[in-house]
Parts: sequence; C-alpha cells; structure tokens
Amino acid sequence: MQRFILNPILSKEFRSRMRSWKSPLVISLYLGTLALITIAYYWVKQKNMMYSGFGPNVGPEIYVVLTVFQLLLVSFVTPAFTAGVINGERERQTFDLLTCTPLSATAIVLNKLFASISYIFLLIIASLPAFGVVYFFGGVLLSEIVQVFIIYLVTALTFGTIGIFCSAIFKRTQVSMVVSYLIVFIFLIGTLLVTVFLQGMHSGAYPVGQRTVPLIIYLNPLIALFSIFPAYGIPYFVSDIIQQIFYRNGMAAAGIQTIAPWQYNFIINGIIVIILLVATIILIDPVGRFSRFKSKRAKQEQKVEDSKDEQVEISG
Amino acid sequence: MLVVNNLTKKYGKFTAVNNLTFKVDEGSIFGFVGPNGAGKTSTLKVLATLLKPTSGRAWIAGEEVTEHPERIRRLVGYMPDFFGVYDDLKVDEYLDFYAASYRIPADYRKNIINDLLELVDLAHKKAAYVDTLSRGMKQRLCLARCLVHEPALLILDEPASGLDPRARVEIREILRELKAMGKTIIVSSHILHELSEICTHMGIIEAGEMVITGTVDEIMNQSRVGDSIEIRVLSKAEEALSLIQGSGLNGIITGDNVLQVAFEGTEEAQSNLLAGLVQNDIPVSSFAASKSNLEEIFMRVTKGVVR
Repeated sequence: MQRFILNPILSKEFRSRMRSWKSPLVISLYLGTLALITIAYYWVKQKNMMYSGFGPNVGPEIYVVLTVFQLLLVSFVTPAFTAGVINGERERQTFDLLTCTPLSATAIVLNKLFASISYIFLLIIASLPAFGVVYFFGGVLLSEIVQVFIIYLVTALTFGTIGIFCSAIFKRTQVSMVVSYLIVFIFLIGTLLVTVFLQGMHSGAYPVGQRTVPLIIYLNPLIALFSIFPAYGIPYFVSDIIQQIFYRNGMAAAGIQTIAPWQYNFIINGIIVIILLVATIILIDPVGRFSRFKSKRAKQEQKVEDSKDEQVEISG
Repeated sequence: MLVVNNLTKKYGKFTAVNNLTFKVDEGSIFGFVGPNGAGKTSTLKVLATLLKPTSGRAWIAGEEVTEHPERIRRLVGYMPDFFGVYDDLKVDEYLDFYAASYRIPADYRKNIINDLLELVDLAHKKAAYVDTLSRGMKQRLCLARCLVHEPALLILDEPASGLDPRARVEIREILRELKAMGKTIIVSSHILHELSEICTHMGIIEAGEMVITGTVDEIMNQSRVGDSIEIRVLSKAEEALSLIQGSGLNGIITGDNVLQVAFEGTEEAQSNLLAGLVQNDIPVSSFAASKSNLEEIFMRVTKGVVR
C-alpha cells in the first residue's frame, strides 16, 4: 500500500501547489466567499425583521445555507484542480519522463487524485471557523457537521475522479475542463431537471406518497446533503425542493426509505469512482501492465514467430 | 546489452518501424541515424517502454521490453527529443523527485544528486529554480535525470537538438565522459559528424527499415565508392574535363567552372594531375581532395524517402 500512497508524486504536488502564490489566493477567495454568504444571509434576514435577537432557527438556517454553498464551491473548485493533471503533464511534455520511471499507472493516478483532494480537504478544514458562527447561535450538533463533511469528501472524490478521467481521455486541458464542468453541472442541475420532468409526466398515475423517484436523482450531492439536514432548521426553499422531488415532506423521505438518499449517493458515487479510476489507469498505462489480458492467440502467434527465429539462428 | 528482433510499429495503416533488427553490445555507443520520420523515435520509445510494438521483440540485458516493463524501466535511462521540466521545482528537488520515483533511499539521494550535478556541470545551479535555466542547462539536467538510477542502458533521442553550438559541445563532452565510464548508450541525432566522433557503432534507418548497421569503420568502408577531387577553374572548364577524361579519370562539371573528379590514387598522382592541367594552360584556382564523410555515406545509402 505504501508504494501507492507515500509516493514522490504526492510530495512533489504538495510542494509545487503550496509554493505557488495561487494557493493562498484560492484559500482567501474561498473563505472570503463563504464569510460573505454567511454575513449576507444574516443581514437579509435581519433586514426583513425575521429575527428579533437570536431565534432558535438562526443557527440551523445559517448552517444549511453555509453547507449548501460550501458544497457548490467544492463542486466548482474540484474540476479546476483535477481536470488538467494528466493532460497538463502531456502539455508540459513531462508525461513520458514520468511514465518511464518505475511508478505504476495506478500510483500516478491515485497520488495525483489524492494530492488534489487533499487540497480541497484543506479548503474544507479552513472553512471550519465559518461553521463556528453556527455554534455561536446553537441548534446544530457536531455529528451533523461531521456528516456534512463526509458528503463534501465523497463529492470531491467523485468530481475529482471525473476530472482526472477527462484529463486522461482528452489531450487538451481546456477541453477536459469544459467537459468536467459540464458533467458536474449535469450532476447538480441536470439530475434535478430530469427528475422534476419525470415526476411531472407521471403526476396523475400514483397518489402522493406512493410515487418513487428515479435513481438518477441520487447522483446529486445536493439531495444527499438535504437528506441529512436537521428538520427543524430547513429554510423554506430547501424543504420545498425536497418536497417537489420526493413528494413528501423533507426528512420524512429519508425516514420512510430503507436506504437514505445520502447512502444511495455514496453507493452510486463509489461505483462511479471505481470504474473511472480503473479506466484512467488503463488509459495512461503506455505498454500496459494490463497486457496480461492480451489474447492467448496473440501470445501463441508470438511464440511461433520466436521459434522460427531461433531455428533461423541455429541453421545460420 | 540490447537485441532488437523484427520490431514493427504501426499507427493504423502507417508503418513507422518495419521489421527492424539490430543489436547493441555492452559498453558501446550506438548512433541511430535517419531522416525525420524514419522511425527513430518510435523505436526508442518502444525500448523505453513508452510504446507497445505491433510485432517483434526487444531485449535489454536479457529482459523482454513488453513482458517486464517495470524491470526495463530500472535498466534504462531515457531522454526524449522533446521534454519539459517542472518549472516550480529547484534543480536538486527535480532530481530528488526522479530519484525517489526510482525508489532510491533518501540517504543516498543527496550524494547521487551532488555527483550528477558535478558531472553535468550544474553544481552551481543546485538551488536555482528549473525555469531559470537556459535550454542547454535544462538539456544537461535531463541527462542527469536519466542517470539518477545508474541505468545499464542510456537511450538518448536527439540530445543536442535545438541547442546552440556551445551547448552542443557541452553535451558531447558529457557523452564522452559517459563513454569513458563504460556506459552503453544508444543515441539518435541528425548531426552526423558529432556522432562519428563519439560512436563506436552506427545504424542508419530510413522509412522504418535499417539500411545499414555495424561499427563506424565498417560502415565507412562498406559505403565508400571512392574519394574525389574538387577542381575550380577560372575558365576552360570543358577543356579541363576533356583533359581529365583523356587521362582515364571520371569527372563531371558540377557547377559554374567547378569539376568533381572521382580519384583514388596517391598524393603524387594528384600532383601529376594538377601539373598536367596547369601545363595545358588551364587556369586552376582551387584543387582540393575530399574524403568520404558520414554525411556523404548517409546521402548514398538513403534514398531520401519522405513519408
């Protein structure tokens, strides 16, 4: 396992990434955006006279807004860090030098991915002070925040793997970047639109409460996130979305089903991650440790050729 | 050290390398020569485990290249014709990264890196960022990178391409040092006279096929069709030609008052030829004997096939 994880690529990526001026800039912009959203939300609520002092819903509401925006930020940032890792090496003409070392394609892909995910993890950890504001108002459990952070990691891993797969399949970074963002957009918005459309088509067929949702909706990390929100603090717009999709009221959806939406999301994402990682490893392996899959016939033909050559040498 | 047997590499319908067979003995420096698109880079990439051959096989130190790519990568140091460097790393960090990739223990890396930087004359740039190096320095750094794991075979694809004359000389000097150290090297280049100075063996490839291979002397002898004399006259070129042909030599007018004469005689015979021309009032302005060089041999044995 050590040969795959504690690998020079990981340390090089960390060194290069943290040395660049872009790194503190991205962290500052990321935290600045989160802080701005928190302040803006609270200010708007105060302005609308919704709060008189610190109401019991202030903490959970800010928590929900923060977590949703953080998920969107993670979804937005991840392709930027992963969609150029393989074709970026090709464009820099360092790819051949890397692949002619004994580092396996698996080690290259996994360490590139881990390096990118680690940076996103750093962004998430750096955002903890923003979540401290939620604790100031109270109303959210630590376990709920931990659950949300696990969803962030799974989302980053999924979108990161999609990005790295695109970077292996497309030669140009711009193309892989655009395709990665398109796929992320489909995960976040496309799945919602398709679900709402399908629900609309079958609206008269079953009474409310007996309708099932299409599996595609579980690809959406927002749905996984909504399914673990504390019921008492969900802002109206969030519960409305869930009700629209599941035709049930918010958390009840998770309670009725044997597997909660976030669990579905983890299982589907896990399958996607494994398939795409294997595909990426095969794509970047130049001569293929996967050549063992070479057909027996081809190997037999090669042996016949070899024996012919040996005979020629002996007779010569 | 290296045996290539009927190696073929096809890209779709295009055959880049066609049944290539040659071998490189241990301790020799094999010059791999051929025009652009001849299949040199494809061959070298197959040997560096970066391309899978369509058919045929190659062995390095007894290991087949496609069967055990991991082992081959430890045996080979590969320098591509075009390469990039990680600009955000320092020179020693760059070498340390590759040394770590070859799983060289951290305790040994420092000494290896210092020795290699001395070899390629970059010790003074150890703490400099790679992007501040000149092209020639980057080329030398890449050469040091190839040596970081003490490979049994060095594969250098056009190591001097794009370099100014001074940087070319520096690369050549490093290759000479490596030759003195007993390294086995396969090097491709367009600059033939440079190869002839350092190579022990040579193979000329054209349109994916090996045209001629052997030691440098063997190739020179096999391909020599005779030395020649270039004679420049101020006028009377036709008269000079008939005099030359009258003395039993073959010659042609190759330019404005320039004659090329096939000549394999002694220096005394050359002197007699010149005296004969002058005595017949031919205004000779230049009389120079030229021996066959590698460029001429290359031009003779290749057909100039462009694919």
